[in-house]
Amino acid sequence: MSCVTVLWAMNAAICLTLAGMHFLIWLNDRKEYKHLIFCWSAFSAMGCAAVELMLMHAETTGEFAVLLHFGHVLVWMLVVSVIFFAHLYLQAGKPVLLWSTVAVRSLALIIGLVSPYSMGYGEITSLKQITILGESVSMAVGTPHPLAFVPILSSVLLFVFMTDVTVTVWRRRERRRAIMLCGSMVFFVLMATVHSALIHRGVIHSPFLVSFAFLAIILAMAYELSRDVIRASRLVHKLQASEADLRESEQRLSMATDAASLGVWVRDFTKDEFWASESWRRIFGVAADEAIHFDNLLGRIHPEDLSMFRQKLEKAVGEGGTFEAEFRLMFPDGGTRWIASRGHVKVSEAGRPLIIRGVSVDITTRRNAEQEMHDLRRELAHAGRVTMLGQLSTALAHELSQPLGAILRNAEAAELFLAMNPPDLAEVKNILADIRKDDQRAGEVIARMRALLRRGEIEPISLEAALLVSEVIALVREDAATRGVVIESVMPANLPAVWGDRVQFQQVLLNLILNGMDALSERQSGDRHMAIRATQNGAEFVEIAVSDTGPGITEKMDRIFEPFFTTKSDGMGIGLSISRTMIEAQGGRIWATNNDSIGATFHFSMPIDRAVSV
Amino acid sequence: MVHAIDDDAAFLQAVSRFLRASGLQVKTFCSAAEFLKELAHDTTGCVLADLHMPHINGLELQTVLIHHQHSLPIVFLTGAGDIPSTVQAMRHGAVDFLEKMAPKEKLLNAVQRALASDISQREARTRQHKLQVLFNLLTSREKEVLSHVVRGELNKQIGAQLGICERTVKVHRLAITSKLGVPSVAELTRMTIEAGFFRT
Repeated sequence: MSCVTVLWAMNAAICLTLAGMHFLIWLNDRKEYKHLIFCWSAFSAMGCAAVELMLMHAETTGEFAVLLHFGHVLVWMLVVSVIFFAHLYLQAGKPVLLWSTVAVRSLALIIGLVSPYSMGYGEITSLKQITILGESVSMAVGTPHPLAFVPILSSVLLFVFMTDVTVTVWRRRERRRAIMLCGSMVFFVLMATVHSALIHRGVIHSPFLVSFAFLAIILAMAYELSRDVIRASRLVHKLQASEADLRESEQRLSMATDAASLGVWVRDFTKDEFWASESWRRIFGVAADEAIHFDNLLGRIHPEDLSMFRQKLEKAVGEGGTFEAEFRLMFPDGGTRWIASRGHVKVSEAGRPLIIRGVSVDITTRRNAEQEMHDLRRELAHAGRVTMLGQLSTALAHELSQPLGAILRNAEAAELFLAMNPPDLAEVKNILADIRKDDQRAGEVIARMRALLRRGEIEPISLEAALLVSEVIALVREDAATRGVVIESVMPANLPAVWGDRVQFQQVLLNLILNGMDALSERQSGDRHMAIRATQNGAEFVEIAVSDTGPGITEKMDRIFEPFFTTKSDGMGIGLSISRTMIEAQGGRIWATNNDSIGATFHFSMPIDRAVSV
Repeated sequence: MVHAIDDDAAFLQAVSRFLRASGLQVKTFCSAAEFLKELAHDTTGCVLADLHMPHINGLELQTVLIHHQHSLPIVFLTGAGDIPSTVQAMRHGAVDFLEKMAPKEKLLNAVQRALASDISQREARTRQHKLQVLFNLLTSREKEVLSHVVRGELNKQIGAQLGICERTVKVHRLAITSKLGVPSVAELTRMTIEAGFFRT
């Protein structure tokens, strides 16, 4: 066995093995073109080694020429693949250089293919035997090709291109790559070019060693690629580990949310998708495999809560903030549950909403307890009010009956004394003095009662009617929801400020709204509507109108404001009379009208704050 | 005599003035305790009391009087009467229950009824007392005979029942009529019932 055959055969074998390996890698992942290109390069390098070996054993000039043609095709293949590898894998090299190198190399190939002795030689006169490593091998003797500068030009271009790539990679601070891969490419391309040219000119007597130069390049490429493969495999391991961590933490989270009965949900605005956890599906009564559409969910929210829900959601989405809402969710079986949801909106840099993540929890039990408390409190308050007024009226009657009874008895006695003959005028005088005293006493009783009923003095200040109205509506929102009353408010934006007492203004409005809701109790739940409108009434007043769709007022409009006049079984008949006292004390007026279609409207006017409006 | 009791001095004076001008005798007390201090066994007339008074109120005063077996009739006055106290007062024998602002006719009428009731009760009690004195003159045998007489039994039947002869019964009956001073059986029966001697 000769050394030469073994060396070249091993060279070819290494190249073939690497080509095969990377072809398999490419087959596994077709997107990784670098492996296909490398396979191409290694395969060409293997061919070069084989051709070189055969050249050494060629016996005729004709055989030599044919092999040279094959060799040139393989060299072209290799050069082109290395260029593209460098360009694609290292993301470097100017396209102009790349394409001109390929073009000149292709030109050299064409010239080689049409020339009888390929590109290196103009003519091969004979084969000469030389001894390498103790083995006798063939070598051509002839004249160089007249166009030999073309392949040299192509090699120079290749050299320039590779240098450009090396510089770029070096500047990117990938120095190992620049030295290992680019450096070897530059060096061995240069070496192979010079060596071949010298052989062609007969300056040195040696077989072609192009394949060894190529082997060095191929090994450098293989080393780079294998580093990539190792890195990728490490990444896969890391990814697996982090995925396991992720699953673990997901499980923990799921356990925690399950324990707290928290339903987790995510809505993706960009894809218009809605994802929800199992516990969320349990809360909302959605099957595990059922697709969730956000619009369907909106349709299940109680109509009275829907506009509030939408407003809050739109605000959160618009501003990229936190979303929080408590609402009633309707179920197909007619049931209703209270749900509390809380989410956070993530927005893009351009301010567009990307995703909202949140949790929901069933708060029906809590809400029911709150409702019971609320009902109880209201009943207690009412009972307390009735009892207090009852006691008050008893006390009033008792306190007043003393002086009034005394006056009556004294007057009757006086009549009798005057009827006597002679009349007892001295006694009558005493009686008249007593009557005056008792009359004063009765007056004092009344004054004391009034002082007791009046809570504090009026403190007029400048008031924003719209703000006060919205505060009162917020106060009765719960109550209204319970009674199924929909309250709407219409507040013009440029409403002037009014001048009055804040507490009394709100007490009157509250009283009118509560009266309206009482009036609506006879209506079907869908027909219970109230509207609160504010308008400017002339230059001096702002008018607030509270309308309901109740049965309207059948009594005389003036009488309903009289004290102790009531149409309610449990009413005291003092709400409207107190309201009138309060409004008139502030320079306003209160009156009622029946609506054209249905229900009644209570109006009250408040004077405009002149300090602000002027 | 009307015993007017009220914690409100002005009203007390007014009502007593009116009652006096109407020809009645009035004594005023500014509390139930003051009245009870002066109350004697032979106090006559009626009580005109305010229902709402400090310490001892009208209803409590009524209870005390009943407890002492004092039958002074009571008229209640009140500023604002409530149903439970009215019911209690009337059930315990109040003559009337009036508001302080009641018309004078109603007030006078109630007071006069109370006074009349006191007089008739007193007379009934006096007569009963006298009868009891008379009845105590009878011997036990005579009382026994009388009990049969008022049942309308004949002398013969009485004699048979008591195991005495008819003559002896006649002697006893003569003694009874002479001691009590009543000749007829009908009158005798009425007196016997009135004296509470027999419960038939």
